[in-house]
Amino acid sequence: MEDRLGMGNRWRVAILLLILTILTVPILVGYVWILISTFSQRTYGLIPVDASGQVGGLTLRNWSFLWEDPNIWKVTLNSLILAIGLTIGVVLVSSMAGYALSRISFPGRRVFLGTTLVLHAFPSVTLLIAIFFVLRWISRIPILGRDIPIIGGFGYNTLGGVILVMLALQLPLGVWLMKGFFDHVSWDMERAALIDGCSRWRTWWQILLPQIRPGIAALAIFSFISGWNEFLIPYTYITDQQQSTIAAYLNKLLSDTAPVNYSQVAAVGLFQLIPVMLFFVFTQEYLLSIFAGGAKGGS
Amino acid sequence: MSESASTVQALEAGKAHYPEEKASLRSLLSPLLFMAPAIILVVVFFFIPVVIVLAISLTDMSTATGFNNWKWVQFDNYRRIATHPNTLPVLRNTLMYVALTLALFNVGMALVIALLTTHVPRRSGFLFRALWLLPRLTPSVVYIMMWKYVAADAPYGILNQHLLGPLGIPPTNWLPAQPWLFVILTNGFIGASFGMVIFTSAIESIPYDYMVAALVDGCSLWQRIRYLILPLLRWPLLFVTTYQTLSLLTSFEQILLLTEGQFGTEVWSLWAYQRALSNYWGNFQWGFGAALAAVLVLIGVVMALVYMRYFQFNQLVQEPKIEAL
Amino acid sequence: MKVKLENLTKRWGPVYAARDINLDINDGEFVAFLGPSGCGKTTTLLLIAGIYKPTAGRILFDDRVMNQVPPKNRNIGMVFQSYALYPHMTVYENLVFPMKLKRVPPAEMKARAQRVAEMLGISQLLDRRPGQLSGGQQQRVALGRALTKHPDLLLFDEPLSNLDARLRLSMRAEIKRLQMDLGVTAIYVTHDQVEAMTMADRVAVMKDGQLQAYCPPNELYDRPRTLFIAGFVGNPPMNFIEVEVVLRDGVYHAQRAGFDLPLLTERGGQAAGRGPVILGVRPEDVMIAEEGIAGEVYVVEPLGRDDLIDVRIGEVHVHVLADPNRRCKVGDRVHLCFNTQKIQLFDPKTEQSLLWT
Repeated sequence: MEDRLGMGNRWRVAILLLILTILTVPILVGYVWILISTFSQRTYGLIPVDASGQVGGLTLRNWSFLWEDPNIWKVTLNSLILAIGLTIGVVLVSSMAGYALSRISFPGRRVFLGTTLVLHAFPSVTLLIAIFFVLRWISRIPILGRDIPIIGGFGYNTLGGVILVMLALQLPLGVWLMKGFFDHVSWDMERAALIDGCSRWRTWWQILLPQIRPGIAALAIFSFISGWNEFLIPYTYITDQQQSTIAAYLNKLLSDTAPVNYSQVAAVGLFQLIPVMLFFVFTQEYLLSIFAGGAKGGS
Repeated sequence: MSESASTVQALEAGKAHYPEEKASLRSLLSPLLFMAPAIILVVVFFFIPVVIVLAISLTDMSTATGFNNWKWVQFDNYRRIATHPNTLPVLRNTLMYVALTLALFNVGMALVIALLTTHVPRRSGFLFRALWLLPRLTPSVVYIMMWKYVAADAPYGILNQHLLGPLGIPPTNWLPAQPWLFVILTNGFIGASFGMVIFTSAIESIPYDYMVAALVDGCSLWQRIRYLILPLLRWPLLFVTTYQTLSLLTSFEQILLLTEGQFGTEVWSLWAYQRALSNYWGNFQWGFGAALAAVLVLIGVVMALVYMRYFQFNQLVQEPKIEAL
Repeated sequence: MKVKLENLTKRWGPVYAARDINLDINDGEFVAFLGPSGCGKTTTLLLIAGIYKPTAGRILFDDRVMNQVPPKNRNIGMVFQSYALYPHMTVYENLVFPMKLKRVPPAEMKARAQRVAEMLGISQLLDRRPGQLSGGQQQRVALGRALTKHPDLLLFDEPLSNLDARLRLSMRAEIKRLQMDLGVTAIYVTHDQVEAMTMADRVAVMKDGQLQAYCPPNELYDRPRTLFIAGFVGNPPMNFIEVEVVLRDGVYHAQRAGFDLPLLTERGGQAAGRGPVILGVRPEDVMIAEEGIAGEVYVVEPLGRDDLIDVRIGEVHVHVLADPNRRCKVGDRVHLCFNTQKIQLFDPKTEQSLLWT
């Protein structure tokens, strides 16, 4: 296998690896700094120092926000709600639509597939201004707009609204991905299910979904990370502190306090980064497959 | 039996069995239920917004007029864009930002990383590709914070402390000093992973026989890349270039977090966003911002249609092999 | 249950996958759909199952029109070439899944599953998942799944194609036996003529979406109604020789350069005076003899029990099954004797038999 690309030459491999390492250093530096910084009083470059500028000054003080600032738990919870809500929404809606598009012949199927593909390429951030108005209208709908527990509703200034917007923006990717996964399930199996007495709904739920579990896992992880990370959409559509998310909270720390206490901000950043890194370490293969699949239009 | 005869048969069969009509109604309902949530979301958050953007761009709606006292102004906003003193610099910024990031990172670096990681042992190749995926997965606020610290003034900044200091270059905060360098670096390190993944899978799918033939023919590594791999990558290269052009043209999150458009780094999409939704003065000019966004929307629609035309849509659409519902 | 197809037609765009098929299947009958790949036999089966919808024509189960009935309400069992077991369920769960959907009481469900498992010899596999089974075991489970729901009609879509030759032989007998014991109507799609001939009560031969013949296996073999059937059924395949039939001295002769064969009057009479016709004769109906039509041995293929010998007569080649003890060698001069009782004659233009209609 190693010789597939003719890499018999050890020296050449070593040189290629060296080049790769140098190119990758800028990525690593930031993560190394954040790790060091969160446990230091301050840092000069990557060197931890104490108040007088001497090397040392390691401390846990930067993490005090965890018990001193009740807001952190509020925004963490909000981010969690956003991420989980988005994940459930994306997986459910995409797998339903992806199933129909892959497996059922109905009038308008081609049109919708084409539309999804166009939207997949379409830069949705350009619609943020208009979506602002849509969310304001939804806010006026009684109950649905702003009186739902936990997510606050689906209108402007609610977590539910942000979930809905992000769900819509991720939908083209999700639908294409799910369609691609469904395309690869054996037709005979679905035929067998229909003959055994399933409706299309039951076939979808009991027979087909279990076959594409890797695809669902990949999409779920991807959606969770997107929801957890997202800054722009909650920042734009949520002004209410009670509904704010961790990314917006961090941004506020960065822009409010002058001069910025980088070490403390780094701690909050690391706090937000931890779940992402855990997913990253354990599921990189899934995530790579999402980019490969999603980018090519799902098949 | 001739075709017309079997058609007659078909008609008779239909007449004899009335349930046909009911069945065809049901045949629409079931897929519709599967599609309903997706359709509603697409209509509410794509189709309606496109119409709204275009409509608002023809009004003078802003914080000053509120949502009640606005009026139609036809193409005034577009005329304003054409004569606005910021238009030319912003346009120049946008072109520079897109062209440089695309050439250096989203295509250039992506290709380099893909080629390098496919020519080292598999496990290390995989590790490096995973590392390059990391910036895309990192919360953008955290990611930008890292870069701000890289650029920060002495004694804090990593660049000053570890690279430029030893070289004897006087320290400064490099972000205001070299804003474009950092705009391109931050976006580029995120953007490269998209092309990297696509190029990698394209390189790995080059038939083994080709590689062996090239080895047998005594190609050097460089010759193999130049004459075998690159020609076969033409299609992925075209795809990544066009797709990423559009993404870069409309992305502004990193710039917003990094410079907020200061130091002459305002690009078109950020301009639209700040005019309409977020600025220091709280004076939101929805009409003008919408006109700025509408320009991008039109570019987006046209380019998206071009993709569908050229990227083998028909191949992706097979007919389902089950007709029952 | 009886099955009836009336002018059944399925068209995709301009292509007819099935065209004007008329067919009657009696209660408890075993019918094989036989034809080369792409002939529309599987499409027809899926039309009967309700997976596809007919473009025209009707499907009747016991005089009830089924065209609009969804598959789940047709009470059929189907066995697929790919087995199509549910990989996320155990063998037991696979077996009871159809019964669950039919709301069979749990106690009976369990009893039926165990009975079927025993019958098929898969009782010890009930806790496994399909991925852990061999091809033959998977096919038994698939068969079991089709049987537990007590279907009115069993459909088989090339169920043995993915098995190795020996297993195929034993499963063939087993399926036939089960079907007879249960007395359930069965339709069996295959491209393997041996399967069709050995298992079926009647064989429907299909070509290009059309029904070529529908009759018992021996009739298919002895009285092929078209050139296609004559060539498709039988192994090694029938010899075809272009001849002209003439009446000479009160006897019909099939003639061509270097070839002159007296025919039975009732057969030759159908072909005389038509110009060129195609004469068909099976390799086992030609013998190497001391006298007869002269030829030269061109190729010898030992098949074990017989030698298949290619004899050249002028420009035509005739395959002959011969006793290996004859020790024919390439280049030998031989004489061929034809069993005139088994001679077939076809019209070269319509490709229809001149003897049977």
